[in-house]
Amino acid sequence: MHLAYLDAGSGSLIVQAVVGGVAGAAVAAKLYWRRLVARFRRQPTDQR
Amino acid sequence: MTHPDTGLRADPGSFRDPTNRVFHRDGEVLRGLDDRATADWRALAGSGFFRALLTEGKVCGTEEVAATPPWSATLRHERIPFVSHPYEWSFGMLRDAALLHLDVLRAALDGGFTTKDGSAYNLQWRGAAPVFIDVGSFEPLREGEPWAGYRQFCQTLLYPLLLQAHLGVDFQPWLRARVDGIEPDQMRRFFGGARRLLPGVLTHVHLHGAMQRRNSRATTTDVRAQLRDAGYSRELAAATVRGIEKLVRRLDRPPGGSHWSDYQRTCGYSAQDRLAKERFVEEAVAGVDTPALALDLGANDGRYARIAARHAGYVVAVEQEPAVVDALYRALRAEGQRRILPLVMDLADPSPGGGWRGVERAGFADRTRADVVLALAVVHHLAIGRNVPLAAVVDQLANLGAPGAALVVEFVHPEDPMARRLLANKPDGLFPDYRRDAFERLLAARCRIIRRAELPSGTRTLYQAVVGG
Ligand SMILES: C[S@@+](CC[C@H](N)C(=O)[O-])C[C@H]1O[C@@H](n2cnc3c(N)ncnc32)[C@H](O)[C@@H]1O
Repeated sequence: MHLAYLDAGSGSLIVQAVVGGVAGAAVAAKLYWRRLVARFRRQPTDQR
Repeated sequence: MTHPDTGLRADPGSFRDPTNRVFHRDGEVLRGLDDRATADWRALAGSGFFRALLTEGKVCGTEEVAATPPWSATLRHERIPFVSHPYEWSFGMLRDAALLHLDVLRAALDGGFTTKDGSAYNLQWRGAAPVFIDVGSFEPLREGEPWAGYRQFCQTLLYPLLLQAHLGVDFQPWLRARVDGIEPDQMRRFFGGARRLLPGVLTHVHLHGAMQRRNSRATTTDVRAQLRDAGYSRELAAATVRGIEKLVRRLDRPPGGSHWSDYQRTCGYSAQDRLAKERFVEEAVAGVDTPALALDLGANDGRYARIAARHAGYVVAVEQEPAVVDALYRALRAEGQRRILPLVMDLADPSPGGGWRGVERAGFADRTRADVVLALAVVHHLAIGRNVPLAAVVDQLANLGAPGAALVVEFVHPEDPMARRLLANKPDGLFPDYRRDAFERLLAARCRIIRRAELPSGTRTLYQAVVGG
């Protein structure tokens, strides 16, 4: 993995999608949706 | 810190990106590149966008020279005549620097590159024209990744501009106090209530801060992968940069006037005085053998900086009032002036060293060895207005010059209306030494006085002296 020398900041990366107009907001929404889905998928195993 | 064997001196301000470092050798500015940086450089050097940026003068002149071990490759950069820091710039300067950074980034994105960072320290000046200096910052773009420099751009460029444009708060003290700029979490406290609705605030300040808080435990590696999977694209990255650029263009409220903005009208000079003074200054500077650097202290509208620029290679015009400097900058920019650099600085509180160990950003005194020092109608402000002992003022003027430098200084007599006005704010008899004969004695102790002239008004004396002579 090619990592930057500078800590770009996780929130600072995501917010750039949000400010990038409608298409950007769609990317941000998709990212959050996937995180949400991933959390629900994980939950049953987590609770065992 | 020069290495005894190699004559190399590492630049104390260049260490954050270990893949490439700036160092100095025999007055040359060099940049060493490791293997990875060398590969990036080779790609960059072959790209059309980079050549165009060089030709347009937007990026500092750069060429590859023989490699200096242990680096895989070495670049030589054009020398910037006088290095300055963002907290010494006026609003218009910071804004133009930000616009140039975005311009360079946009060109890079179009050419399949990006910049690794987004700091105000990536920019310097050739007179009133900004130039992007961090050639080590370019790297090939990785599809699906937002700009890694956005946070730095916000903290060192966008937020200071928002503070000044929206609230009229001078940004310089904020940047001077924090080498990494202003955090979103601090910014949002200025912009509560209806101020949230000011251009750029809701997204770049509040949302940005909120996203940082909510994602503080997510690594950037994970987030980069998530964004790529969600379809973040190069076009989106370009759209974001265009959006920021549009915002910065809107932020163009020049800082309000100051008491000094109208100085040339209210200074109380007669036309005769001015003519005599201009002639004296011109003759003094013209008499110096090819001066490389002239300093104009308390430059106001730059009248004497311009005269100095007829003879000196480069002039740094120092002035404490941000609004005055901004007006001067705008005028110089309109003239296309490349040899006068206006800077915001209080001579009674000059830029100290900053950053790591206090040397990452050199203090003003450490950057300054002028061949000509102009101190015209400014000594009384320091000696009376700021209570600096007259001997210390003279010392400081001499210290800013190289040995043998020409010092041109105007002493405003205590009877002069402007000096009287300053004295009227202090208890009677507080400055018994503020006298012409005392000043002249102090000057003679540090310098060789070679010429003096009384201005026609009879309450001001001009001196030309040689530092240490
Ligand atoms: C009387 S005007 C002289 C302007 C110009 N040098 C001339 O001779 O016409 C003084 C200028 O010095 C500036 N000044 C006063 N104190 C200063 C300080 N401590 N640091 C920097 N500039 C200062 C003022 O803002 C003002 O523009």
